[in-house]
Amino acid sequence: MYVVEIKNLYFSYDDSFLVLDNVSLNIKKGEFVGLIGPNGAGKTTLFKLILGLLKPLSGLIKLFGTDIRNFKDWKRIGYVPQKLNSDYFFPATVGELLNLTKGTRKEEIIALFHLDSLLEKQFLKLSGGQQQIVLLGLALSTDPDLLLLDEPTAGLDVHFRNHIIHTLKNFTVKEGKSVIMISHDIGFILNTVDRVLCLNRSLQYQGNSRDAIGVIENMFGIREVKSGIS
Amino acid sequence: MEFLNYDFVQRGILTGLLIGASSAVVGVFLILRRMAFLGAGLSHAAFGGIALSMIIDVEPFLLTALFTVTVGNLIQLISSKRKVPADAVIALFFSAGVALAVILLGISKKLSENVFGYLFGNILMVTEKELIISLAVASFVALFVVFFYRNLILLTFNEEIAKLRGAHINLINHLLISVASLTVVVSIKAVGIILSSSMLVIPALIGLITGKSFRSCLFISMAVSFFSVLVGIFISLYYNLPPSGSIVGIMVFLFAITFVKKILK
Ligand SMILES: Nc1ncnc2c1ncn2[C@@H]1O[C@H](COP(=O)(O)OP(=O)(O)OP(=O)(O)O)[C@@H](O)[C@H]1O
Ligand SMILES: [Mg+2]
Repeated sequence: MYVVEIKNLYFSYDDSFLVLDNVSLNIKKGEFVGLIGPNGAGKTTLFKLILGLLKPLSGLIKLFGTDIRNFKDWKRIGYVPQKLNSDYFFPATVGELLNLTKGTRKEEIIALFHLDSLLEKQFLKLSGGQQQIVLLGLALSTDPDLLLLDEPTAGLDVHFRNHIIHTLKNFTVKEGKSVIMISHDIGFILNTVDRVLCLNRSLQYQGNSRDAIGVIENMFGIREVKSGIS
Repeated sequence: MEFLNYDFVQRGILTGLLIGASSAVVGVFLILRRMAFLGAGLSHAAFGGIALSMIIDVEPFLLTALFTVTVGNLIQLISSKRKVPADAVIALFFSAGVALAVILLGISKKLSENVFGYLFGNILMVTEKELIISLAVASFVALFVVFFYRNLILLTFNEEIAKLRGAHINLINHLLISVASLTVVVSIKAVGIILSSSMLVIPALIGLITGKSFRSCLFISMAVSFFSVLVGIFISLYYNLPPSGSIVGIMVFLFAITFVKKILK
């Protein structure tokens, strides 16, 4: 049984331009997958389809073996959105946000991400990177089996980025959780994940990092990917 | 302070505090959902309901409440389709309600005689029944907020995350707008149609500007509301001024102080 199973997925926002064109992919338990592609490639859209926030034009999505139309167990999925829609007034503190999760791994997450010093602070008054960490902490605090992370490391310093990746890897290796991570930091993705998905409206490639390089160079029209890989 | 012994003063203060508490809490969530204008829209739509209840001569609270809750839910339904901006939908019902009232006003003499009372309200003239209705609405608001507290915060934070955590977004939005509608209807008695949205907006805004957490925003909003109702009623009694004007006047004054302090900081 796959954690996520997608077959012949088509999607369009306005019934004319296909944002996702015949995408098929599977995500296994315990897998750490990177999702890359140019701006507007449909990466965030694909996440929203997996989350049931958008309805496919056609095609099949199964979550933990259940057709998404019958899927109810949303708590098994953690999500870090690309951008928040509360750029306005939002008074809650980090502590209040974490308290929204009932009886879970809250304490562990607070210790893991050094959130204790931020608990009393208002979320919107944190730096961009700090907000990102809190969002990740929030997503992990419900103890999900699948994590969808939309550019979770944007704005993080190298030290914290590595710390977070280490933590995520532990989750996948030790606890069999699956992670799909979107990032524009291609060198970093290729060095980190078990498998890469290259999306540009349709799936251009899925497989290991080494063999992805040619596709990526084509997709982005660049010639410098190799130098980023260690 | 001997006026505190009068029944009508006690009733007025109690009703004012209940209405103040309801609108202070509901207002915070409305502003966070970017629906600050909703209060004004609903109270003016309610005007139509009031006129209607006078024409067909039924219990004004019941019909107006029903009318306003229906309008509120229509606003929510239409704006959730995202084909038209929410504030435009509110403006539409705002005008429709007033238009209805104006037409009916032309027909009925009874309404024209009472219109000043509805436009500006008078907290010192509430009946026992209106006190009980305010208590019922306040309890309804309290139940709603306590029961949905986590989901309400999540929803104002991020709808997508809220949905993943099992929040029934549609249900909560409709319930919020329903309690807001009821709050508006009862606050018409206190401060009138024209000023009822200030009860929703001003204390909540002060709470949001000064609060350092979600909880403290709610408490500050309530405190501002209580203070304004009490001081407003005392001032109106001492200087023989209309209570609605003095209550809202205090609110505006408090807002000005907070705002200036915030800017100077
Ligand atoms: N709400 C929307 N309504 C209409 N079109 C949309 C909407 N959201 C995205 N699109 C369009 O769908 C396409 C894919 O957008 P999407 O956000 O999925 O891209 P992405 O791969 O996440 O890009 P980025 O790397 O910039 O975040 C784009 O052409 C975009 O303009
Ligand atoms: Mg995106």
